[in-house]
Amino acid sequence: MEVFLPIAEVSVNIIAIFSLSGIVGILSGLFGVGGGFLMTPFLIFLGVPPTYAVANEANNILATSVSGSTTHYLKNTLDYKMGMMIVVGGAIGTLIGIYTFTYFKGIGKIDVVISLAYMYILAIIGTAMLVEGLGEIDKARKKIFVKKKLHVHYWIHGLPLRMRFQKSKLYESAFTPIIIGLFVGFIAAIMGIGGAFILVPAMIYIIGMPTKLIPGTSLFVTIFVSIIVTFLHSINYGSIDLILVAMLVAGSIIGVQCGQKIGESVDSTGLKTLLAILLLLVGIAIAYDSFFAEEIIRETTKVDTKNLNSFSQFIKRLSNEVPFLYSLFSIIFAVSLGIAGAFIRRFFSNLRKKYFPKKN
Amino acid sequence: MPDLIKKIPLEIKKNKIKTSIFLGLFAYWGLIIVGTFVQFQ
Repeated sequence: MEVFLPIAEVSVNIIAIFSLSGIVGILSGLFGVGGGFLMTPFLIFLGVPPTYAVANEANNILATSVSGSTTHYLKNTLDYKMGMMIVVGGAIGTLIGIYTFTYFKGIGKIDVVISLAYMYILAIIGTAMLVEGLGEIDKARKKIFVKKKLHVHYWIHGLPLRMRFQKSKLYESAFTPIIIGLFVGFIAAIMGIGGAFILVPAMIYIIGMPTKLIPGTSLFVTIFVSIIVTFLHSINYGSIDLILVAMLVAGSIIGVQCGQKIGESVDSTGLKTLLAILLLLVGIAIAYDSFFAEEIIRETTKVDTKNLNSFSQFIKRLSNEVPFLYSLFSIIFAVSLGIAGAFIRRFFSNLRKKYFPKKN
Repeated sequence: MPDLIKKIPLEIKKNKIKTSIFLGLFAYWGLIIVGTFVQFQ
């Protein structure tokens, strides 16, 4: 069942997009990472050009982050002050990232840069997770329990402009979250990912936030970074395709909610190793595609606007004539679906507690 | 150092899975680094 994307000007299989985004959503909900840097390569493999894959996945991440963040807001497990400081850095990092993206696009190397970036990021994350996962399985088998030092002080902890973060019970430099946000924003702009794989370890080991506040705060930061990335990609390149976004968001919101639910009842140590292997396999696939596969010149059938259906024509006109409004609409669309997803999950959760209470 | 070198075959026999994972990762990283250099030539 193929559908033509009017902005990306390619045909994609609806079921493939929906199922893949659902599966990636489950993994993302289960582990808290892996949504962006799995889905964007999958979109590229399905034939979506890399620049469109990056922009539309950023819009998708906005929806899933809003969904997850709303759940944490309802549970009051968010440090807004810390989140906003990271967002300040994220905004600057995103602007630098978009500037870098524009430069590489101008010299015609953006596809290569995106492929290489994904290859290396997947290799690094996959290797680190595999080594950590195997180590944990080994220690659990040998029944070795190692007390890790949670706080190790680096140069970053000596920076000025210290402030109190009441919710996290921390007193540290504002530059720490700003610098972390800078890296996250930069990578998010280039690769169309949320940046949780940098943010979460940074929050644990560098900032030293309490664990229960980390997922919610990380999702809160991702909302703002994704909004800026989506807006700038839409304004500068006109690469947001609402039809693709709708398919991605529908699959991933359902997937993320299921993944979070599964994560509450499953020991994820062994699954983390499997995810690491999956990331490495996707990295190998990108490497093969980049270095060895013959360049397949995909025939893009230039469809005359008159031949598109009325909805596709409307989207194309909106994107070309009022890009600012179009980008605002795509952001509001993603945010609304995200909030709706969180409240629907809460509704079903309350319904389940009412009619199927847990027996003590 | 000679003792360490003598122990390597024994360690490989004891931990076949770990060795194969290590070799696999080594080959993977080698492939992408070499491929990157070739790509930019």
